[in-house]
Amino acid sequence: MLPSETVQLLCLTASSGVPLFSRGSCKQLPFSVIGSLNGVHMFGAGQGALLSSCETERDSRVAWRVFQDSLMLIAVSGTAGASSELHLRRLLENAWNCMVLVLGQDELANVRNVERLKRELRSCYRLIDRLLERGGKDQGFMGDLTHCADCLLPSQPGILQETLDSFTRAADSEFGCLLVRGRLALATDKWWRLAPQEVVLLSALVNSLSGTTSCDYPVFLPQGSPTVAHRLLCFQLLPGVVACVLCGPSPSLQRAESELVGRFWSPVVEALRVCLEQAERSTLPPSVRLRWDVEALLIINRESRRAVAVCPHARGHTPSEVPPLSSPAHRWELLRAFYTFAVTRYFTSEEPVALPTSPPSATAERLHEEFSLGFTHLPVQCYLVTDDCKCYGLQTPQHQLFLLTDLSVPTFALRTVATHTLNAISTPTGF
Amino acid sequence: MECFTSEYHKFIPCNLSQPVTESRVSHYSVRSCWIKLHANMDSVLYHSDVEPEWLDDVQKNGELFYLELSEGEEEAVLAQVTASQSAATNHVRFSEKEAEIITDEGRRRTNSSAKSEPKLKKLAKILGRKRQPSQRRGAGGKGSSPAAQQPPSILKNQTGQRACLMVQQSYQKDVCVYLNPKRLANVCLPPQEKGGLLEALLGVVHRGGDERGCVGERLVIHGLVPHSPASKCAQILIGDVLVAVDDVDVTSENIERVLSCIPGPTQVRLTLETASADVGTMDLAMPRPRPSPAVSQLVRLLWGEDTVELQMSVAHIPHIVMYLSLKLDSESPQEEEILYQYPLSEAATQLKSVRGIFLTLCDMLECVTGGQIVSSSLLLQKQLVHVGYWKEGSNLLVIGLPADRVPLLHLQTITEGVVHTLKVMYGSLDSSFCEVEHASRLDHFFCLFFQRFMQLSCLSDGSGPSPQDISRTLFLEGLPAVRWLTLPPDIKAGDLFKGYLIANHLPKQDLRDVCLYCQHYCLLSLPTEQRVGQLVVWREVFPQRCATPHPGYHEPHGRFFLLIVGLRHFMQCVLLEAGGCASPAIGSPGPDCIYVDQVKATLLQLESLDSAIEDRLSAPPMPSLSCADWFLPSGGRDRPEGIGSSPLLNRLTAAIKPPSPGAIGRSLFGEMGPGSGSAGLKGRKPSPQRSLSDSGSEGRGDLGGAFTPGLSPHTTPDATRRMPPVGSRRDSLGSGGSDGSGSSGGLFKVHVVLLQPNPFYLGSLKKSLSEREVEEMQNTLKLTAGAENTLFHYVMMESVQGIFIAPTHREISQLSGSIHPQLIRNFHHCCLSIRHAFQQSLSSRASRGLGPVREHGVLFQCKPENWTDHKKPAPTMTYWVIGRMLLEPVPQEFYVCFHDSVAEVPVEMAFRLSFGLAM
Repeated sequence: MLPSETVQLLCLTASSGVPLFSRGSCKQLPFSVIGSLNGVHMFGAGQGALLSSCETERDSRVAWRVFQDSLMLIAVSGTAGASSELHLRRLLENAWNCMVLVLGQDELANVRNVERLKRELRSCYRLIDRLLERGGKDQGFMGDLTHCADCLLPSQPGILQETLDSFTRAADSEFGCLLVRGRLALATDKWWRLAPQEVVLLSALVNSLSGTTSCDYPVFLPQGSPTVAHRLLCFQLLPGVVACVLCGPSPSLQRAESELVGRFWSPVVEALRVCLEQAERSTLPPSVRLRWDVEALLIINRESRRAVAVCPHARGHTPSEVPPLSSPAHRWELLRAFYTFAVTRYFTSEEPVALPTSPPSATAERLHEEFSLGFTHLPVQCYLVTDDCKCYGLQTPQHQLFLLTDLSVPTFALRTVATHTLNAISTPTGF
Repeated sequence: MECFTSEYHKFIPCNLSQPVTESRVSHYSVRSCWIKLHANMDSVLYHSDVEPEWLDDVQKNGELFYLELSEGEEEAVLAQVTASQSAATNHVRFSEKEAEIITDEGRRRTNSSAKSEPKLKKLAKILGRKRQPSQRRGAGGKGSSPAAQQPPSILKNQTGQRACLMVQQSYQKDVCVYLNPKRLANVCLPPQEKGGLLEALLGVVHRGGDERGCVGERLVIHGLVPHSPASKCAQILIGDVLVAVDDVDVTSENIERVLSCIPGPTQVRLTLETASADVGTMDLAMPRPRPSPAVSQLVRLLWGEDTVELQMSVAHIPHIVMYLSLKLDSESPQEEEILYQYPLSEAATQLKSVRGIFLTLCDMLECVTGGQIVSSSLLLQKQLVHVGYWKEGSNLLVIGLPADRVPLLHLQTITEGVVHTLKVMYGSLDSSFCEVEHASRLDHFFCLFFQRFMQLSCLSDGSGPSPQDISRTLFLEGLPAVRWLTLPPDIKAGDLFKGYLIANHLPKQDLRDVCLYCQHYCLLSLPTEQRVGQLVVWREVFPQRCATPHPGYHEPHGRFFLLIVGLRHFMQCVLLEAGGCASPAIGSPGPDCIYVDQVKATLLQLESLDSAIEDRLSAPPMPSLSCADWFLPSGGRDRPEGIGSSPLLNRLTAAIKPPSPGAIGRSLFGEMGPGSGSAGLKGRKPSPQRSLSDSGSEGRGDLGGAFTPGLSPHTTPDATRRMPPVGSRRDSLGSGGSDGSGSSGGLFKVHVVLLQPNPFYLGSLKKSLSEREVEEMQNTLKLTAGAENTLFHYVMMESVQGIFIAPTHREISQLSGSIHPQLIRNFHHCCLSIRHAFQQSLSSRASRGLGPVREHGVLFQCKPENWTDHKKPAPTMTYWVIGRMLLEPVPQEFYVCFHDSVAEVPVEMAFRLSFGLAM
């Protein structure tokens, strides 16, 4: 039996059902179970009934999806897990994109040698495992769920942005970004124009490579160029600060590291240090003051598909007797749950601009039900009062805000708090 | 009426759960609840001395489902059926030498299962026997016109001439009429020479052969009796020739016998030869009554007719119910694991063929995750289908429904509802599915079940805000409660009235059982759209209260019988217990006339309350409601002056503007109906007894049609009338109910008075009009805070008594508008989600995640449709839909929808509303 609160990801070849890998923190499922999970889907597909998901009374779920008619991904979540249908759906999508990112679509779409593919897929394990642990529970990465890049808003972006732009140009590229503590602090315009899933995955990839001072990694872009590889060059400027460039054949890693990094980044080391210090405290610049009773928040820019998640820790003084929510991990979990709740029922999670997607993702649109389509009027805000916390969600044409407060905030004041918070963040930072 | 009263007195003890002490009846202990049905003032046909009409319909096992429409209604129904059927194309099939017209009707009949129309079968059999001699005699009879020998189907006669086939087809037409011979029961039959049954029953006047007594004469229609079935169907014309009744050839000789063989109320197909060649065009040109096939279909469905046709109409939508055995035996022959299946459409067959998925998933997921599977989603023919599961022992119930009809959130509630109803009806799932004799009844059950979700446009009651309002049905029927009509305290009676529960002596669980049964057989929505002549339902039930053992207390083992009697507006549900404290029942007893009569007598007594209840239904909504459209200037339409885009601005401009005779006001009131504008909108009669002090302001309102000040249409006439002192303030319909308050002038004062804790206290309905007005002025209540009424809609469920209250249909329909129905639909859709959140937090499932949800609200934004003014942005109106769950003092759920302008504390509103529930 699958332990509770775990997720297993299974990958098989779609045509023959040969297991390729199985990832997850718990013990691998018995082969017979894997076989029947796959068999059920295959049987249905043969009869014209495409199975997409199922759910049990104790909230464990199974989701199936076939990609490019070649690989079958199955996600199984254990009981009482906070994993929602949205999470499993995203997980399958992200896992596929991971595999494309590392191996390229050709390799996956036309499986010639299963044993070789199995070996090659091992290189994806680190990235997939990262997705399975929900992007690091304590750090509040939500890109895997939101498909928006987890960002950091530096207080003085001007000089760093200039440096990044010229550094990227010097590396014969237009795609460059600066990651601070795993979050995107800055990026060039072109980087922002990558598909949101790609931005999220590239950040995850760079984070999974952390520890190396520099690296040169071939990547395929799942949406942009699934068949032609690019080079991802990463340079650790400070511990926790990584500059990345997505470039063609030149320059070589050595040349870029020896010539460009020092030339462009050493003059702004102090600014980087300030940025890093700020990131230790919060993802928001110090100028933004949040109300003390805000436990956690997620703000999404719907146009640029950027997201900032904040979990203010160590509050100075709490005037109320209401005990604050225990751990940041718990708060992140609540925030994820609320995001899922609001997005699956009321708000849209899809990108406003239709991306050039491949046919399989077009069918995937219909594989789940959009509850929000049943509304005749547009839901713009929603709130939840539970025994533990209060949540408020707000959607404007430009932003989405998901706010978690403690129980001391009166329910009727939630809306004011939320709008105030949105203004406090978006106005000074221009987010 | 005297006899009813005496019976009524005898019956009173039954309601108090005491056994009946009459020696001639089998003894039951009785619990009951009442439902008020529809209101109409027809005279009741009640034959207390005649053998009851339903007696023939009692089945072998004692069960009975007898439904008879009231007079007038049934003809209307059947006329619509006829209209829709005559429009259907006839199919011509060529066989070797014969051309045969297969009408839709005929095909349906051949396809329909054996049980669907036993009466007609019988009739046809009887008629078939008589057919031969009649023809023979017709041929040999003297003085018969040559035409009389012509066989009714001219087609069969002239198969050689295929060229003119289609032309000739148009000479013959089929007309379906509804006949009820029982209506003639107490009228002495007219003698044959005066027209006989042909005239009395059908309403066709045939003056054959000038008293020469011609036998076998063609039945030329010489006249039609007014208000008869024949004239009402509007397709039988004078000069037509009646050639066949239900495919049995008729002449003047055998027509009386044929008609006398019609055993009970039924639909009969008449074949007519008509003089005019272009029947089709005539049909089209004929002003048909607005067809509402819904009405007829629901009734036909309940009668068990035409299920095949209805099935065909939803055949393309994948849906299925299966009862599968989990004991897979590889050696057993194919499909043995299917214990029951419905329907047999193509999409369902496809779902059936993948039953292996359902069985495997059920089996495997239990092993892998340790939980029972509840739902799965799959894509079938590009349509997403949700499948709900229910495991019972070693068997599995599988229900597949399309995702666009039933959201996944709600699927489990539906599955549980079906299981519960089946258990009430048959004791357990196994006994319901595994016994062969139940199969046809289950078919009917699930046919109704799917029709409720698939074809809501047909089955929904006409008074609903929108025909496709599936969310409303899903939400309200998903609530474990019955709709309760709050009544003034001086009315101490009850029934289910027009789908509203009026009084209840049943324990909560029993009420839920009965209510689920009524819901599944659409008995609650039936009376809202149709006048019920008579309804008698009798069956054994298995209340689930007895199935769940209570520690320390043991329910006496008894058998329970459900008796539902409907008479016009009221319906009474009685639960009779045999065994236990009453004598045990043996075999399968049928309904006892005495009980039925007693219930009828009670219902007739309740007729006296009808007017009071009607008053309640037609009274202004309590608590008062607002219409969404009033908060939004309508786009383009009715706005020639283009008054400002925000409501606030509107108010200002309206207040500044001098009163001028405006076209706007006129058009508004023109829409709302004749008479004084204020009365039209509120559905209240203007009081003839207004005080003189009132007349100053009142006069303007009454003249509203011509001299309404130029306001934007969103202001109510109330506001219009009060405009001089207060400006154009929007007012609510309900607090508008206090329109006598116009006399008091000080609007603010009135609103202060209005804030009383009991929104349902209606005052006394018996008081005189002027008194009542004063009373209402003080008692009309707003639920919302602030000066304006911002409440749009509410639903409050009280789970201890198992009831919920919501604005009545009439209250909703009073608030007509374009946005408001959308808003109501949205409200119900949102409530589905809110309730799901509550349910999840109640069950232990949500140990992780968000935790127990107490309150949940969603803010919606709406813009008027067809906003034509491109220069200005469309005005928006925002409103909240909030659900609140209270566990103390009694478990309650409260759903409310109000305008965004006032911040509300839902708990306060919930309590304000619940204090009014004086049970």
